[in-house]
Amino acid sequence: MLAEGLDTLIRALAEDGFQVVGPTIDQQAIVYGEIKATSDLPRGWTDLQEAGTYRLQRREDEAYFGYVVGSHSWKKYLFPPVTLVASADLGENGWRMQTPEPDPVKYAFLGVRACELAAIRIQDQVFLGGPFVDPTYEARRSRAFIVAVNCTQAAPTCFCTSMNTGPRCDSDFDLALTETSSGFLIEIGTDAGQVIAALLPVRPANSTEIDQAEIARQRAADQITRRLDTDGLRDLLMNNLRHPHWEEIAQRCLSCTNCTMVCPTCFCSSVSEVPDLTGEHVDRERHWDSCFNLDFSNMNGSPTRNSISSRYRQWMTHKLATWHDQFGSSGCVGCGRCITWCPVGIDLTREVVALRDTTGNDLSRLSDSNAESAEANR
Amino acid sequence: MTSAITAPRFDPWRTHAVRVARKTPEVPGVFTCDLAIQEATVASTYRFAPGQFNMLYIPGLGEIAISICDDPQSRGSVAHTIRIAGNVTHALSELAVGSTLGLRGPFGVGWPIDEYRGRDLVLVAGGIGLAPLRPLICHLLAHRQEFGEIHLIMGAREPSGLLYSAEYSAWQDGGLNVYPTVDRGDDSWPGHIGMVTAILDRLPLCRPAETVMMSCGPETMMWYAAQIAIDRGVRPESVYVSLERNMNCAIGLCGHCQFGPQFLCKDGPIFSYNRVASIMKVADL
Amino acid sequence: MSNVGRKQPVSIVTVYKGNTAMTMDQPNLLKMLCATRFAEGLSHEHLACLCRAGRLVRLSPNQLLFREGDTEDEVFVISSGHVRLAMNIPGRGDVPFLTAGPGDLVGWSGLISDGRMTATATTVDETTLIALSGKRLQELCNCEKDLGYVLLRRVAQVLSQRLLSTRLQMLDLFEKEQTQKVS
Repeated sequence: MLAEGLDTLIRALAEDGFQVVGPTIDQQAIVYGEIKATSDLPRGWTDLQEAGTYRLQRREDEAYFGYVVGSHSWKKYLFPPVTLVASADLGENGWRMQTPEPDPVKYAFLGVRACELAAIRIQDQVFLGGPFVDPTYEARRSRAFIVAVNCTQAAPTCFCTSMNTGPRCDSDFDLALTETSSGFLIEIGTDAGQVIAALLPVRPANSTEIDQAEIARQRAADQITRRLDTDGLRDLLMNNLRHPHWEEIAQRCLSCTNCTMVCPTCFCSSVSEVPDLTGEHVDRERHWDSCFNLDFSNMNGSPTRNSISSRYRQWMTHKLATWHDQFGSSGCVGCGRCITWCPVGIDLTREVVALRDTTGNDLSRLSDSNAESAEANR
Repeated sequence: MTSAITAPRFDPWRTHAVRVARKTPEVPGVFTCDLAIQEATVASTYRFAPGQFNMLYIPGLGEIAISICDDPQSRGSVAHTIRIAGNVTHALSELAVGSTLGLRGPFGVGWPIDEYRGRDLVLVAGGIGLAPLRPLICHLLAHRQEFGEIHLIMGAREPSGLLYSAEYSAWQDGGLNVYPTVDRGDDSWPGHIGMVTAILDRLPLCRPAETVMMSCGPETMMWYAAQIAIDRGVRPESVYVSLERNMNCAIGLCGHCQFGPQFLCKDGPIFSYNRVASIMKVADL
Repeated sequence: MSNVGRKQPVSIVTVYKGNTAMTMDQPNLLKMLCATRFAEGLSHEHLACLCRAGRLVRLSPNQLLFREGDTEDEVFVISSGHVRLAMNIPGRGDVPFLTAGPGDLVGWSGLISDGRMTATATTVDETTLIALSGKRLQELCNCEKDLGYVLLRRVAQVLSQRLLSTRLQMLDLFEKEQTQKVS
């Protein structure tokens, strides 16, 4: 398919009742928003990322998907930042409680990366895989159409290869695109994808085009240098809950919650009471919350996790260790967002190295290895 | 489409309108609220297991997890013993009989009682921790022949803090050995003074390896009770504790009540000591 | 052992000294001592040695066993029944702080120090105690270091349990820690 075919794809999805959302530029970042036409896409832009750093930069070409990932993830559509979960009305016979019918919105996600497909699989497990199913997530997820786009470049913060989540989109998409200099190679993942693909100006790819796409995808894989050694990681963390390094991280961590907000798998939330002015109608709104918030662990007026070290430990051990116990996989997909968007550049892969190198509470080795790993990551 | 669609399931946010049928003062700062589910079809099918909890909801103020303290066989209303601790419990204490509020539940995993028919049981309760054990006690009294010796050690700060004390003699008559004890006694209190652990220390256990301990109370109390029970030959996997953390959604989707690899609302609040021992003494987990 | 439903006043206290105590032949005393929790970890020979310094004391409810501040020779292992320990605070009277029961050791000052009692002990119900002469036990321990080690080790264990219990009581768990489960 030629690049112009993208507009046909967006139109076809819209005509099928989908609200098409995808990458667009807002406030000097690539975010996910409504896409009406290819002109909304960040054509010719890329993102420079490092720990604590994110900048947009012009590309030398006019690629539509020549960036990595921004601060947004698709969870904002499947698990919205604010959701009405219930409401209550005061009538003659007292309070009556209702739960809303899930919003029948149909999203088509354009530009889902392999790590993001993995994140969606992980949130499927959280919201759909247990004894309780979240109605909002279920409704949105079951209707969603996924157009994946293979990465053709990687950021220094990427480590999907360590988490076995990318960079190649293998499954869980309706359509998958690989962008090359001559257009897009399309793979069809589902029957629904087939139906949409039939409406597009496509022809069978020739071997040169297939090779070109493979080279482009391989380029992304080759660019990934960051590693997270997951070997025995669960036990490493759970056996070191009292390690002094948690306190060392807390000296840097601001407990700002950025890492949890940008993480495509973090799912913590709280429900707030929102009464109207009469007090006779109350909406119960669920909003994203974070284990870094002090009052998140409040129990009878005092927080269980009173220190930043205990909150960072909660986040990291959940993400990389206890997630396995709960959901059968790591909670990390290696997208690197928490590294990029941390205002002080805390990098969980480095913190794991520090913990691994100093297991046994050896304080002298701790400071040495910090210097080493800092060197190694420079 | 790329999804794991399943048949429509029950909506975990569905909240039933309930009416305050009765309010009973218990010990100071604690009261019991009997709630009648308004919708007849829901009321007639509502069942719970001993140890489970409900989310009680006051619109505009919020929800709170309260364990059910009723006899699992009782019908018509569901009793909750509540300690006044925060906004919602305070508002609950001020609700008049006849007021409406919301209830979601039951949630959580109850006491694993069916696994332990034929065994000797030691129940250890502290303060309001007796509330979630009361449905179990009702169940045991109704099925007394199915179990061996049953001991209940109940601790409170002072004699006036002994929850459900009016029922102890009936429980004793029903075949439970009830051992109330208080931290602080006086001359008007003829009973035992000391921690539940002191009684547990010298409790006659005929067959410790066949004995099951179930405890609910302050974590520190449960921890040392577990140590003593295990020292005395009770198997660690037969020791159960009921843990407490902040619960928000009650369905394992909000993250608030996480404790190591568990969500207390969904995987607990009752755990075998085995499962949580390694993390119970990790501060601020 | 349970006090369910019973509310008897405990203000009338009689003193056991002298005539209410009774002696018993050694084999029976040994049998009773062996049956207590205190005997755990002590050999039969050692227990028999202890019994040579002992006698049996049987008391009815509300009898004074010893009084805070007094010097006593005997230490007691409770065989059955309960003893309430209290300390006197001027203006508040006797403040009870612990109920000791079967297997517990009371009056241990006689064994490891000068025998000055740090509490007043009163029986709660029909109580049988094995009274051991502190002086004779100290002599025994001095002569037979092996017995001395084992006995004092056991006493240390018992006291450490008592210390833990006291600490938990002191922590005021039911007041400070909100115990409303799952809320």
